[in-house]
Order: sequence, then C-alpha cells, then structure tokens
Amino acid sequence: MHIDFRIDGGLAVFPGLAKPVSIDCAALPAKDAARLGELVRKADFFGVPQPPAAAPMPDARAYTIAIDDGLQCRTLTFAEPIAEASMRELVAELRLRAGTIRRGGGTR
Amino acid sequence: MLRRIASRGTPAQREAALATLATDQTLRLARATHQLLDLGARRPPLTLPERAKQRTIYDAGHQETLPGRTVRAEGSRAGKDVEVNEAYDGLGATFDFFAVVYDRNSIDDEGMHLDATVHYGRRYDNAFWNGRQMVFGDGDGDLFNRFTISLDVIGHELTHGVTGDEAKLVYLGQAGALNESISDVFGSLVKQHAQKQTVGQADWLIGAGLFTSRVNGVALRSMKAPGSAFDDPVLGRDEQPATMAGYVHTTMDNGGVHTNSGIPNHAFYVAAMAFGGYAWEKAGRIWYETLRDRRLRQTSTFRQFAVLTAQNAAQLFGASGRKTVAAAWKEVGIEVGR
Repeated sequence: MHIDFRIDGGLAVFPGLAKPVSIDCAALPAKDAARLGELVRKADFFGVPQPPAAAPMPDARAYTIAIDDGLQCRTLTFAEPIAEASMRELVAELRLRAGTIRRGGGTR
Repeated sequence: MLRRIASRGTPAQREAALATLATDQTLRLARATHQLLDLGARRPPLTLPERAKQRTIYDAGHQETLPGRTVRAEGSRAGKDVEVNEAYDGLGATFDFFAVVYDRNSIDDEGMHLDATVHYGRRYDNAFWNGRQMVFGDGDGDLFNRFTISLDVIGHELTHGVTGDEAKLVYLGQAGALNESISDVFGSLVKQHAQKQTVGQADWLIGAGLFTSRVNGVALRSMKAPGSAFDDPVLGRDEQPATMAGYVHTTMDNGGVHTNSGIPNHAFYVAAMAFGGYAWEKAGRIWYETLRDRRLRQTSTFRQFAVLTAQNAAQLFGASGRKTVAAAWKEVGIEVGR
C-alpha cells in the first residue's frame, strides 16, 4: 500500500509542511504497516462517499489523502473538523507520521 | 381589536385577524429594521448590554471531539493547567479590548459567550475558530509549543468571529487575505492593549513564542517586515509579501490567504507608525469602523477595503487622517485615489 498525504492551510503557511509526504507501507516495520492498514480499513477509505464541499473555516486545515493498495486507488480531501471518528484517527496517524518523516525519520 | 377577534372570533375570523396581525407585525419589524439600518453601520443592541464576560474552557483530552469536558467556568479560580489558564486569560483580554476600546459587547456585540477547547488532538499543531468556539492544540513539542502561548493568536482567532459577525468576508483570495489580515491586526492590538505598548514598543509579530527553540524563526508572521518571520530547514521560509508587487497567486491555502495578508498587514503597520501613540486609538479605530462599514462587501478586494479605510479615516480624523492612511496603502502598492 502506498499513501500520499498533504496538509493545506492552518493558522499560518509553512511551505515545508505543505509539501506532500509519501508513505510506502512496504518499507515500514511490519507492525506500523499493519496498523496503517487497519486504520484505512476501519475508516472504510475506499467506500466512504466523497466529503461534501463546505465553506472553509478560518485557520482550519484540509487534508488530502491518496491511497493505492495495489487493487484500487482513491484520493479524498477532508476539511477539519472531520466528522467521522475513524477517519479522524487515520488523519491523526498520518499527521504524526508526516511529522516524523519531515524530521528525517527521527528527532531533529 | 384584531387581537380580540384573534382570541374570541370564529375560526375563519380568527385566521383572518391573525394573518393581518402577522402582516402588520412584519411591516412594523421591517420599519424598525429600516430605522436601525438608517442609523448607519452602528447597530444599537435591542436590550441594554451587560458588559459581562462569559467564558468556558473545555478540555478535549487529546481527542478531536468538541467541545470536550468543562474545566473552567467564568469566575472560577485558576488551576494548574497552563493551557486552560492561558485560554481563559486570553479570552478575557480579548473581550476587554473590544469592550473598552471599541464599546463592543463580545464577538457578536450581543454578549456572546466565549468558549474554547484546549488539548485538542494528539500533538496537534494548530488553532482555529469553528464559527462557534476556539480550538487549541498542544503543538507537536518538536516545532511548536502549545497554541495558547501567544495572546495575539487568541485575539486572532476571536477576531475571525467578529469578522464573521460583521463584514463576513469570504475566506478566499483577496477577501480571504483581508479576513486574515483583520485577525492579525486586532490580534496584535489585543496584545498591545494588554501590555500598554505604543506603536514603537510593539513587536508587530503574530505568534511570538509559538516556535520551540529548535526552529529558526521568531513568529508566524511579522506585520513590520512581512516575509522575515522564519527561515527553517523543516518549516521552510516565510513567503509573505509586503507589497502588491509580491502578490502570490496560488490555489493552496484558499488562494494564499495567510500569504497575501502580509500586504494589508503592512499597510496597517505603516499607518499605525505614522499616527504614533497607541495603535488601537487611530489606525485600529479606522480599521474597526471599516470592518463594520455596510459598504464593505463580502468579496471585497484589497483596493475596495483600502478606499473605505481612507473614507473612514477622513470621517474620524479629518483630511490629515485620510492622507496618512492613503500614504500607507500607497507604500504597499495600492492607490486609493482622491
């Protein structure tokens, strides 16, 4: 499974944080890959309807997630606050993982 | 008479009387509304306002469900949680600023309760206004400290509520950048007012203290020198322009609302420095009256906003006030005409 994740907006613009992050699950430790797979399944990423477009909320962020699991490929954009708890969990996990990747895999 | 028929007549009579009463009431309301609107941008409150803060702070417990558990209500004493206390005090300072300086009774000028949720999400590095309340993350601890740390950020978020109540500037393109800039302007003024700083003493930064010591940067934005707030290997470089020559066209961030806000931000800074003294007294007053000006459209451009600030400056402070404001906009590349 391959995941592209992008954060847009927020209280300030940080060009470094706005860059998309790519996660190749095959390159992750098995435990982490399994956890991501479980979150994607729980969120029903390939089944949920496209979130409706809404007027943007000041300083809130939008998250764009593209997932290719080898069989299917889908891109969804969610503006926060995200209604579905399972989707919130997936986004929260990707956000933390993106932070780790930006710091070069560990702490700076 | 009609009311008597409405309560005692036959069903048909009752219906007719009620319909007449309803129409009459509608006309009365329309007339009253018209009278209110004719008074100008100022909207007198329907009841005598009580200038009393009503703050409630909630704790989301690192979940992303709003509002969370109530942890501090109005009048209760400070506890040990720094975020809770900073949010409580920040809401208070913002309420006091708008009440004391501009005679505004809370966000909606009708005494709206001020709610804020802290400890939102896990290592959540943002703060936002959701139309009803403020939301603060703890920061990731690596790049960002807690988001309650800067009073101007709290003022910034609540001012989004004020703009949503007044001009309702759409959060897109130039109108969106104006919406952002107005939040920076009054966010900064909340801090300057709380610290009794003159224009020369103010730091004109938004979010000072928000970065950890690992970040090469001083704040999220600088109104004094847009584009100079940070330059960091992970965060990237502050790309805010100070003038129209540097206007950024982008599809990100609702058309660069947090980037191009540097232009009106800098115009405000230049005007405030030229007026001198306390920025909230002249430049702030002009911007506040413009925010409430009925002629300001939801899709206003920078220039349309600038023209209104010049007109409000003339009204409030005469020809010299107008000249000062026009010169400030000219410095950022916007001509307001004669």
